[in-house]
Amino acid sequence: MLQMVLQNSISGMAMGLLYGVIGIGVCLFWQTTGLINFAHISSAMLGAYFFYTFNVMWNFPIIIAFVLAVSLVALYGIVVLRGVVYKQIMGRKGGRLEFIVATMMLNIFLLNLVIVVWGGVPYPFPSIFGSPMNPLRIGRVAIQHHSLWVLAFTVALVIGLNYFFKRTLTGKALRATAQNKDTASLMGIGVGKMTALSFALSTGITAIAGILLAPIYFVSVELGGGIIGIKGFASAVIGGLTNPFGALVGGLLIGLAENFSVFYISSSYRDVITFVLLVFFLIARPQGLFKKM
Amino acid sequence: MQRRKIGFSIIALFVVLYPLLTTDTYKVYIMNRSLIHAIIAMGLVTQVGFAGQISLGHAAFYGIGAYTSSLTVLNLGFPIWLGFAAAVLVCILCSVFLSVPSFKLSGFFLSLTTIAFGHIVWVIIVNWQKVTNGALGVFNIPPIRMFGTKFNNTHFYYLLVVTIALLYLFIRRITNSFIGRAFMAMRDDELAAECSGINTRFFKLLAFGISAGFAGLAGAFYAHLSGFISPESFRFAESTKFVGMAVTGGLRHLLGGVIGAPIVTFLPELFRFPGWETYYMMAATFIILMIVVFMPDGLAPLLEKGFNKIFGGRDDVKGGSSE
Repeated sequence: MLQMVLQNSISGMAMGLLYGVIGIGVCLFWQTTGLINFAHISSAMLGAYFFYTFNVMWNFPIIIAFVLAVSLVALYGIVVLRGVVYKQIMGRKGGRLEFIVATMMLNIFLLNLVIVVWGGVPYPFPSIFGSPMNPLRIGRVAIQHHSLWVLAFTVALVIGLNYFFKRTLTGKALRATAQNKDTASLMGIGVGKMTALSFALSTGITAIAGILLAPIYFVSVELGGGIIGIKGFASAVIGGLTNPFGALVGGLLIGLAENFSVFYISSSYRDVITFVLLVFFLIARPQGLFKKM
Repeated sequence: MQRRKIGFSIIALFVVLYPLLTTDTYKVYIMNRSLIHAIIAMGLVTQVGFAGQISLGHAAFYGIGAYTSSLTVLNLGFPIWLGFAAAVLVCILCSVFLSVPSFKLSGFFLSLTTIAFGHIVWVIIVNWQKVTNGALGVFNIPPIRMFGTKFNNTHFYYLLVVTIALLYLFIRRITNSFIGRAFMAMRDDELAAECSGINTRFFKLLAFGISAGFAGLAGAFYAHLSGFISPESFRFAESTKFVGMAVTGGLRHLLGGVIGAPIVTFLPELFRFPGWETYYMMAATFIILMIVVFMPDGLAPLLEKGFNKIFGGRDDVKGGSSE
């Protein structure tokens, strides 16, 4: 029994951390723009596809392929998302509704673009994060190598982001922009540059999450059109939307709740638990679990 | 004034003759599907464009309507018109669940809640196998019969046109009354509306109820048109498509839904050149994206302006003008 609980917790946590990483991207976007990007999850899809192209099709080394894929997605964030969609809509003082609809249409367009460029067939992801056949065994609990990689990436991301936000001048400028744009620009901070940076960070981090999700979901359009994006939003909302690290806790909560509901209730209602949590938090505690960073 | 009448009669003539102009029954079927979607988009124009309550979960009401009508007709032996009424009624009742969160939430958070609602309903449809037959769907739904004739696609087309005309009159009546003014006040500033003595909770319930009822009616039409329904038709992607139709047509225009739905449906067909088979969906979605990004008022005001230019006439824009 204990072993089953442990096993479920570990796999739930691995999944939850990934939702949390997507949630971090949502938070970073929300902090500087006050908007939610409904094409958010397509960054994950693009990241996975770019990585697959560079690593498997063109035989680049893993690290180069990874860096290239993430920076290409970040570039997409700056050029397409900010340069076209955001600037157009904000330029004429468009409302939130317009942004919601525009990003949703962008998501559908990107799905169709991916189908045209790469075809609709899912690609198997190379087992660079360890094969699922021989997991690490501690006692009778099996831990996938992939889960350890997820943990390592998340820890590195948290340390890196924390250093960036707390110690570097650019990070402090970004936080100042998030707090108050007008005051920040009076302090000599280039607000436009900072917004571009937050777009790049948000999409880039989601691309990392996409590459880490690919071994589970394959390199497929399921990454960009499925339910994972909503789970990223849910973890960000539970964490409080203003605190990126709160999103990780929200993601963990969702991952664990999901795995235990499969274990105790039924796998067919697995996704419902996320939505119930999301609606519960939106109504009962809209400010989330954590206060502003 | 005379020229305007000519303009209207040309459009009316085209609408009446459409199924007779083409011999392709598939085209009429697709047109019927798009008119069914137009009913939902009209409801969304009322709810999102006029009352300002966004919903990204309308595929759920569409599905509830389709399943209610077909299951009551098949299992309980209801006559079809009663199945339609049941579909509308059940959808309005379900909309109460969805509008309760809207008392507290707006904007992004309301849209997330409606997405959650849509997914939950979808999961229930798939997993409640005893009633809905799960992922396999419901078969052998009887078509509508009237005066002893079984409705084919052409009959259905005229039925839908008449229904949409009636619904248009209904919406126009509502938006030109105190209800419409309350909706617009609520959309523009909820707090100010409440201070002016508008019961925002009641009007939110009403807005959700109207559009859910429309979606339920559309679902019932769909079930009896196609004769077969499965959960695949009621996924989240459909909800985004409905909102996309409403926005392409024009969210702040009464005819937005009616114009947007056929355009979004037939746009991919325009790009079906030989050799372009893989690109046509991408091209169509790209154009819709561009319309949404660069023309936020949609196509309906543009078409209205064009109509006025050709046939002369007043420049007053009916319904909600932009703020």
